[in-house]
Amino acid sequence: MDELAMVVEDDEDLAAIFTEALKKANYQVETIRDGLSAQRRIIQIEPHLVVLDMHIPYVSGAEILQQIRADIRLKRTTVVIATADALMGEAFNDIADFVLIKPITFTQLRDLTARLHRI
Amino acid sequence: MQIIHRFSEMVKRLMLVRSLDPDDLRRKKLLNTLLVYMGLAAVIILISTLLAVLFHVYKLRDISLLLFGCLALIILNSLIFLLNKRSGRLAAWLFLVMLSFVLAASDTPQQIGNGSSMFVFAIPIATASLLLSPASGFAFAGLSAAIVAFIGVTNNFIPNIPTVVSFFILALISWLSARGLEQALKDVRAINANLDHLVQERTQELANSLSRERIEAGRSHAILESIADGVIVFDINGSAIIANPSSMRLLDLAYENVVGASIHDLSQSKPLDAESRSVLAGLLTSPGAQSARDHINWGKKTLSVTSAPVNDTQGAPIGTVAVFRDYTHEAEVERMKDTFLAIVSHELRTPLNAILGYAEMIKEAIYGPVNEKQARASDRIMTNSRRLLDIVSDLLDQGQMEAGKLALHVRPFRPADLIENVHGVMDKIAADKSLALTSELDPGLPIFIKGDIARLQQILVNLINNAVKFTEIGSVHIGLMRKDDQTWLLEVRDTGIGIPEAEIPTIFEAFRQVDSTATRKYGGFGLGLSIVKQLTELMEGQIIVTSKLGEGSCFTIMLPLLQAG
Repeated sequence: MDELAMVVEDDEDLAAIFTEALKKANYQVETIRDGLSAQRRIIQIEPHLVVLDMHIPYVSGAEILQQIRADIRLKRTTVVIATADALMGEAFNDIADFVLIKPITFTQLRDLTARLHRI
Repeated sequence: MQIIHRFSEMVKRLMLVRSLDPDDLRRKKLLNTLLVYMGLAAVIILISTLLAVLFHVYKLRDISLLLFGCLALIILNSLIFLLNKRSGRLAAWLFLVMLSFVLAASDTPQQIGNGSSMFVFAIPIATASLLLSPASGFAFAGLSAAIVAFIGVTNNFIPNIPTVVSFFILALISWLSARGLEQALKDVRAINANLDHLVQERTQELANSLSRERIEAGRSHAILESIADGVIVFDINGSAIIANPSSMRLLDLAYENVVGASIHDLSQSKPLDAESRSVLAGLLTSPGAQSARDHINWGKKTLSVTSAPVNDTQGAPIGTVAVFRDYTHEAEVERMKDTFLAIVSHELRTPLNAILGYAEMIKEAIYGPVNEKQARASDRIMTNSRRLLDIVSDLLDQGQMEAGKLALHVRPFRPADLIENVHGVMDKIAADKSLALTSELDPGLPIFIKGDIARLQQILVNLINNAVKFTEIGSVHIGLMRKDDQTWLLEVRDTGIGIPEAEIPTIFEAFRQVDSTATRKYGGFGLGLSIVKQLTELMEGQIIVTSKLGEGSCFTIMLPLLQAG
């Protein structure tokens, strides 16, 4: 079975592109469009990979990141931050596994995440 | 007391003589004095003689001649005194003639003509040269000689001739000394007059320069009062000595709260943030060091501040002048510009990112098989989306650099990573034009160096974009080299069309490309090189461009080598 990945991105088109890229990288993908839903869902599932936008409604990406890092269950989860703000990317460089600065292309995300499989 | 005072006033008025000629005035005063003393002497003799008669020491009969003489002398004296007020000369002549006759009658004829009393004639002779002209002593020597001769003839004896001759010798001596005295007085008067003139001239000059200064000061004062900028002048001890009305209006403070206050006092008058406080403090500690971006948030206002040292004419510091400007509106505009840029940045990038993504997915056959034409079309979409993204990024960077807000994130990085990243971004772009993108890493460079790797990558990407744009065949070469212990180099060399030498200085200007037909042929927006230059300057580096038309160009960035650890 494919490993589980979660995409948290509020922009409809980018969410679709990220989802497609992860599918092509052989992940089973769950797409979430706001911070609150992401916060609720993350305690129910155990994704191998999370692609996280920083500017999302209700709850910020930074909070989601803290929550993932605080959750012992998710200690093996790889977090890829997707942000347009290079300064913010810099700030989370140490906490996240990868920081991608937008524009993020389909192939870039597909090729990166394809290398992150545990199996 | 009042009576004494009145009496002395009366005496003064009585003694007063007037003349426009200073010599005449001097003579009149002298005559007055002599008359008064002589009159007083006569009065004293008169009174004491009367007392002697009263106490029967003398008989009135024996001394009546003396009494009458004294009385006559007092009357004559008074008359001459009055005459002296009108004509000093005539009065002096009369006085001296009277004196001569009185003296002639003061002893026995024998004594006067031939005895020791002859000396009394020395008195009118010497006095004449002082009271009249210096030479008039001779006239009284003559008069005295005539009197002596007359007495001799009438009493049948020959007067003492050597004494008579000595009258004239005395007149000569009096003449010489009086003339010397008058000359000396004349000199003193001339010196005084000259001094008066000098004093008057100096006073006039002083008055002129004072009024000039007052006009000048008045003009400066009027300017200071009316300008919109707030001006406060601090003395060398840091307390405000001058504050114009605008400064008080801008700072919302009353005159008495500004003048006499120190910078510290001023910063206490409003709750200020730490940054504003340090900008304010820096006004006096480092005058002239403020940048255009130094502002203070003063209540609801934003103020821009600058200061400059004030020196005296010798160049010694005597204080500091601080100038405050209302920057509230500009600050608001700047904030709006920042917000606008942030929104544009996010709102433009997101849909562009989506376009790029979908084009890629079509090309990657996510939505089914694509033919060659469709693949090329999606390639074009992707290339143009990237160009648009670059332009947006460049505009943002340019805006940030112009506002001085672009900060570098310096940290250790591997030069090898820099090259690898650049290849990752640029290989495809070079390959699209069938150009080789080669690179070289100097083994002499340290494994880690300090710098902002993202901005260094941006410099290289911009330079390579530029090189690719202007190169049709051949290659683009990247070189990272160590120059010496302090400097390392980034080099981008191409085999393109080259840049005319005259155009090299202008290629780094924003929105400029060598000629507009080139822009049409090669595309581009002209911001790339401007950003390269500004980033290089931000990193305290230098750019050198060498180029040969038709052979290619080489851009070299020299940067200070900061070794990690």
